[in-house]
Formats: sequence, structure tokens, C-alpha cells
Amino acid sequence: MMKWIKAIDIFCKSVGHAFAWCILVLTASTCFEVFMRYVLNSPTAWAFDMSYMLYGAMFMMSGAYAVVRGSHVRGDFLYRNWSPRVQARVDLVLFFLFYFPAVFAMIYTGSRYAWTSAKILESSANSPAGVPVWPLKMIIVATGVMLLLAGIAEVMRCVICMRDGSWPPRSGDVEELDVVLAKQHGNHEGNKP
Amino acid sequence: MSDPVLALVMLGLFIALIFLGFPIAFTLMAMGIMFGFYAYYLPEQAFLDNRVFYLFTQNTFSVMNNDVLISIPLFLFMGYIIERANILDRLFFSLQVGLRFVPGSMAVAALVTCALFATATGIVGAVVTLMGLIALPSMLKAGYDQKIAAGVITAGGTLGILIPPSILLIVYAATASVSVVKLYAATLLPGFLLAGLYIAYVVTRAVLNPSLCPRPKDVDGYGVIESLLLVLKAFVPLAALILSVLGSILFGLATPSEAAAMGALGGIVLAIAYRAFTWERLRESVFLTARASAMVCFLFVGSATFASIFGYLGGEQLVKDIFVSLDLTTLQFLILSQIIIFILGWPLEWTEIIIIFVPIFLPLLKHFEVDPLFFGVLLAINLQTAFLSPPMAMSAYYLKGIAPKGLELGTIFKGCYPFVAIVIVTLALTYIFPGLVHYLPDQFFNQAKELPFDPNDKSIVNPDIFKSMQ
Repeated sequence: MMKWIKAIDIFCKSVGHAFAWCILVLTASTCFEVFMRYVLNSPTAWAFDMSYMLYGAMFMMSGAYAVVRGSHVRGDFLYRNWSPRVQARVDLVLFFLFYFPAVFAMIYTGSRYAWTSAKILESSANSPAGVPVWPLKMIIVATGVMLLLAGIAEVMRCVICMRDGSWPPRSGDVEELDVVLAKQHGNHEGNKP
Repeated sequence: MSDPVLALVMLGLFIALIFLGFPIAFTLMAMGIMFGFYAYYLPEQAFLDNRVFYLFTQNTFSVMNNDVLISIPLFLFMGYIIERANILDRLFFSLQVGLRFVPGSMAVAALVTCALFATATGIVGAVVTLMGLIALPSMLKAGYDQKIAAGVITAGGTLGILIPPSILLIVYAATASVSVVKLYAATLLPGFLLAGLYIAYVVTRAVLNPSLCPRPKDVDGYGVIESLLLVLKAFVPLAALILSVLGSILFGLATPSEAAAMGALGGIVLAIAYRAFTWERLRESVFLTARASAMVCFLFVGSATFASIFGYLGGEQLVKDIFVSLDLTTLQFLILSQIIIFILGWPLEWTEIIIIFVPIFLPLLKHFEVDPLFFGVLLAINLQTAFLSPPMAMSAYYLKGIAPKGLELGTIFKGCYPFVAIVIVTLALTYIFPGLVHYLPDQFFNQAKELPFDPNDKSIVNPDIFKSMQ
């Protein structure tokens, strides 16, 4: 089971990392647009469409990555005081109740939504450039599939935790600066609540 | 059960379920879909054809092409880049030298450093921990009172979510459909007022009791020119970067997302100039940006469906009716809402409070004749307390995580109290002098005056017909 969790983790992480680079492209293309408008006085027709597409694709495709890294925000001020076994039990039930319905909607309805758009090769109404919109709608389906995989990995994690009484470790990744510094310099007595 | 009551059940159930600790974004989506399924249920329709699924997909897409939210990842990216630009220790040191004749110079320097750096990065945890490693030990070494030293860092670091260009304000603007630019202009003066009061407090304490903040010995050897040079090298570039980002937004030269992109580019240039730019750090910033934006934007995905179903069931109207039947004055309503937000700040973080609870207050604003802009500013000031007020003060825990051994959590909490009080004073001042909020937006965005209309000129349409259409 650990092997599968690891495989899914790495897959979600890689896809998230790949799409994360959209932010650099987004920064560059926005700066380019500003340059074109103010310096060359010829604004581009595609910049606006491109910016929201890069943003949308980036955060949606990073959703599963955030799930396997456990960085979706939780209201955890009771949760963190429970024993790992209780945490895992609650999480397991809630994954089926709360997580999979939305994922299902993304995959099932999302694919019909995207297909309707793709059939007519829908393009953006924001500019005469006619940037195609349907690939962005396809992203919803792709996100759904990724979230499904991530959810399966999380469910397996819960099962392992219920069996062993402790959470299986997550593979390493970049961390927020405060976490890194607390690890390097921390006094280990009173970390975050 | 009538539909509006069901909406309240949905809200109550959601608040209870938050405490089960499941990721809030998905809890929101599920509550929206479940109650929406009931609301849109038609007996003759197949299970999978229920309209709620389509609504959910549509709402997801509307978050994906939302042109206000684009600036969130860009500002986050700028923050992560600047956070890694090795800028903070120079900044603190230069200000310490530059301000050494001010009473409580190190604490003031720490506050200014925090405010500037937090404004640039907008990430509270990073600012507090970095300052806790750089400024706290040197303040304690100089013999500063532990409470003051801890207080200035926790309070100063938290300013980053208030002073524009902050991400909190973008999230509020997107939720409340007000203009980000106007909100930035509106928050500027109250933000500076709060920072100014912090500084005034520290200076007053230092004057009244110099033993709390002894003068540091090791910064005396600097002449005027040397000090100026230090400040010029460390303080001016970062300040200029923030001012140009903010200025280009306020003067309408660039949209917030364009300014954020230019700011991120500026951050990269700054990092290169300080020889702190590495491939590894760029990678880290990129990945962290993706993760943090996914976190925030998925909350929006969840709340979009939740809020539409809540409204569809008639929840908004019911909440409005309840508040109207309470027969509050505007002041009472504002105080009540701020208290609710203050209390929500203990268990929840600002993202959830704004995205989930602000939509509930919004329909009430019109009834009580409160400007959503004004409400947003009060909210942003109030949410400072979400980080500062014990027992759930996130900033204090960040600091405790890296603090030297002798510093107890209780001492840090005690250090936070005066600053919480100052936040509340600022709230009151902002209410008493609403000009603080309205002055800058009025200056920057005053409506164009109506052009004189010449009734004899046939080529001009009489503008009165537009008035009759309303």
C-alpha cells in the first residue's frame, strides 16, 4: 500500500510542480504586456486571456499536489489534539462524505461541460484574438482525476494510520520558510499550536 | 422545514463540521453539493442530472477565469521571492544604525523593518520567524524587555496582511465585489495610523522607562554619511519597490495583477543585486506559490457553490430579516459584526473568515448603510487580532517556534496584549474619523463632474433620459 501512496504522491507532486511554472510565465507575459503597452504603445490582444488561463491552470492542477502535501487549510484547533488513530478515523469517513462527491462532480459534469465547449471549439469573447477556452475547461476534468488519485492515496494513508497508530511520513518537498527555520533553530518545546 | 431554515441549518452544520478538522475547501464543496442536491431535486430527474453538479462546475470555472484573483498568485510569488532575497538582516541593521538616536531605537527599527518587509512579502509566518532569528536575539542581548521585544515582532510581522498591497484585501475585494484599487487606497491611511501608533507606543514606553529599552552599544561607531549609505543600500531599494508597485496601482498606471507581476520581477532584480538569487530559491518560490494559491483558490471554489446554494435557499434573506428584527443602529451592527469577527479569529484563519463569513454580512451592509469599502477596512484592521490575541495567536506561536530558550509563550502573549489594545483603538479611531478611509479614494477616484449640457445643440442627447431609465 505504501508503494501506491508513494507513486500517487510523486505523480501529483510532479504535475503540481510542472504547472507551478505557469507563475513564471504569467509574470513574464504580464511584464511583456506592460512593456508593449507603455513603451511600444501596441498592447497585445492575447495577454488578458492568457493571464487568467495560466492562473486557472496553475491553481487547479496544484490542487491535488496541495492535498498530498496536506497543505489545504484545516480548522484544526480540536483536530490537532486528537490521537493519530482518531484523526485517521474521522478523516477516512469525511473523505467519503465530503471529498469524493465534489471530485465526482468535477469529473462527470466537468467532462460534459468541457465536451460541450470543445465540440464547438469555443473561444474567448474577451478579445478579437479568439483564444480557445475549451482547453481550460478540460482542466476541470484533469483536476478531478488528479484529486481522485490524491484522495485514494489519502484514504490509504488513513487506513495505514488506523492500523499502525501513527501517520505514514510524507515524502520531502519544499517547505514554508517558517517551518524550515523552526526545524533548524527550533527549541522543540512549543511549536505551532 | 422551510428552505430558509434549511439554509441556516446548512450554515450551522458547516460551522460545526469545520471543527472536525477536514480541509475546509472540500467541506464547503460538499455542503454546497449536498444541500444543493436537495434544493434542486426533481423527482423525475435522474440522480446524475441534478442541476447542482452543473452549478458546481460552472462556479469552479468562474473562479478559474476571475480577473481579480489573478493577482493573488502574483503577489504570493513576489512575496516568496523577496522573502528569500537575504534582505532582512541588512534592513534591520541599517535601520538600527539610522534610528539609533530615537528612544527605544532597536524596537522602532524592528517595527519599521517588520512593517516594510511584511508589506513586501505579505507572509506573516516568514516575517515573524525571520525577525525572531535576527532581531530578537540582538534586542535581548542589548537588554531589552522580553515583552516589548516579542510584542514588536509579532505585531510588526502581522502588519503585512493589512498595509497594501496585501493579499487579504484582494480576497476581500473579490468576495465583496469592490474595487481592489479603491480598497488599497482606503486602507493606506488606517494602515499607517496603526503602524504609527505602534511606534508611538514603543517610543513612549522607552521614554517613560529607559531601562526597558537600553541604548545598544555596538552601533555607535557610524558617522552620518556611513549611516546614510547603509540606509540607502538596504532600506531604499525595498521601499522604492513597494512604493512603485503601490503607486502604479493607485495612479491607475497598471492593474493590480500587472503591478504584482512587475513587483515580482523587481523582487528578482533585487535578489540578484543582493547576490541572493539562486536557481534553488526560484524553484522553491515557484512551488510554494503554486501550493499556497491552490489553497486559497480552492476555498473560493468551495465557497462559490456554498454561497450560491445558501442564497438560493433564502439564507441571506433570513439572516437579513433576523438582523433587521433586532432593530440595531448602524453603530451597534458594526460593533456586533466586529465582535463576531474577532471571536472567529481565534479558531479560524483570515482566509476562511473572509471567504465564508463576509458574504453573510454583505447583504446587511446596504440595510445599515455601511459602505462595503469601509467595512472591508475595519475587517482588515480587526483581523490583525486573529494573529495577535491569545490564546490562539498565530504570530506568537511562530515566534515561540524559534525563540531562544528563556522566552516563555506566556511572556510573548503578555507582549501581544498592548498591541491588541492598539488595534482596537485604531478600529475605534477609524470609525470616529471615517475620513481616514474615504480621503484617499476620493482624491484618486473622484467622479468626473457632469459636463454642461447645451439644450440647443442637436448632436447631444439630453442626459436626463438616462436618469429616467434608472
